[in-house]
Amino acid sequence: MLPSREPAAGRAVMLVFGHVAAVPAAAAERRMPTEAEINAWIRAVAETADRPSFAALFRHFAPRIKGYLVRTGTDEALAEELAQETMVALWRRAARFDPARAQLSTWLYTIARNLRIDHHRRRADATAEAPDDWDPEQQPADAHLTPDELLHAAQRERGVLQALAALPPEQAQVLQLAFFEEHPHGRIAEVLGIPLGTVKSRIRLAVTHLRRTMERTRA
Amino acid sequence: MIQHHPGDDLLLPLAAGRLSAGQALVVSTHLEGCAECRARLHELQALGGALLEQVEPAQLEAGAWERTLRRIDRPAADAAPATPARAPHPPLPPGVPWPASLHGCRVSAWRWMGPGMRFARVTVPHDPAAALYLLRIGAGRSVPRHTHGGVELTQVLCGAFDDGRARFGPGDFDAADDSVHHQPAALAGATCVCLAYVGAPMRFDGRIASTIGRWIGM
Repeated sequence: MLPSREPAAGRAVMLVFGHVAAVPAAAAERRMPTEAEINAWIRAVAETADRPSFAALFRHFAPRIKGYLVRTGTDEALAEELAQETMVALWRRAARFDPARAQLSTWLYTIARNLRIDHHRRRADATAEAPDDWDPEQQPADAHLTPDELLHAAQRERGVLQALAALPPEQAQVLQLAFFEEHPHGRIAEVLGIPLGTVKSRIRLAVTHLRRTMERTRA
Repeated sequence: MIQHHPGDDLLLPLAAGRLSAGQALVVSTHLEGCAECRARLHELQALGGALLEQVEPAQLEAGAWERTLRRIDRPAADAAPATPARAPHPPLPPGVPWPASLHGCRVSAWRWMGPGMRFARVTVPHDPAAALYLLRIGAGRSVPRHTHGGVELTQVLCGAFDDGRARFGPGDFDAADDSVHHQPAALAGATCVCLAYVGAPMRFDGRIASTIGRWIGM
């Protein structure tokens, strides 16, 4: 049984392929927690191993992590397993999360991504002597950010959703395909009807535009 | 001062977890020494976080919550992750740190590949086919003129080279492809060591270089 649910309220807005669409009432069954609520929950998990707070985080994030993994082509059973594993990692490493430095969704995203990469690596390397060599939290090298760098980045990342919504649909689509597709270059070329050789420049253009929009929305 | 950085066409797939292991290691080695690119990567990871928030939630299996509770009650097997054993690696010039990104890789000894030039094969355990090399080019020596069958990523660990397009110094990153026909020459005064990913066999102009290239597997 899932931990008890909060009353449904509000309307979540969802971005799919560059279109902003209201989620059907059935999917928006509960109010999106605020950043302050999420940070209070993770603090309670870190400081007092508070299970109700962990349950609230689980309720919000576990289905999204699984949904994300399924959307990226991970099969259902593995997505379920990795979503649970990500939540276990959140429980164990909660004290390492600093809300001043990053958003929890970004932190969980990198953990889930690295667990997925790690899973494929281990499968590819059945002879691995020491799988610990590949600490899922350490790969790729995003663990090298200093606190100051993270603080700067954390301030910027709050504008990323707005910036994504403000991009021309085609550019938002390029960015989403880059994250969701197993072979993003081929898929971007196919969806946009452009030669494969021009995909890189489209990606660079979309990211440049995203960064500029983030600067603007923050200003 | 780092002048050449990986483009967003590499940072975005790295953030998305879609970059091949060999390419990811070269870019990660750059990130170790480049705060600017780390911040850029973090922004793109925030995009991943935003997409995670926006994706349609999936129905969890019955009992998912109870299973997770049982798992957090179990003592963590990885509570104290052991420091990975440092595999032996070929010596770098004094004062040049071994890239942390290469921990876990097997690296051969330095081998001869031409006058004043040595290479070491870097093997990624989960992707042994990834063509990753350390190249050590003596001061003033040149890699034979060549172009590329695919992408070639280079990260300068020490020293500097000039290939006619630009000068690449310590910490600099370069991405070349079949549109680049060059002859990288190490500058006088210092040995140049680079980490290089070779996506497809290099195409050397000369026959001797071609033969050596085939023999090495570059």
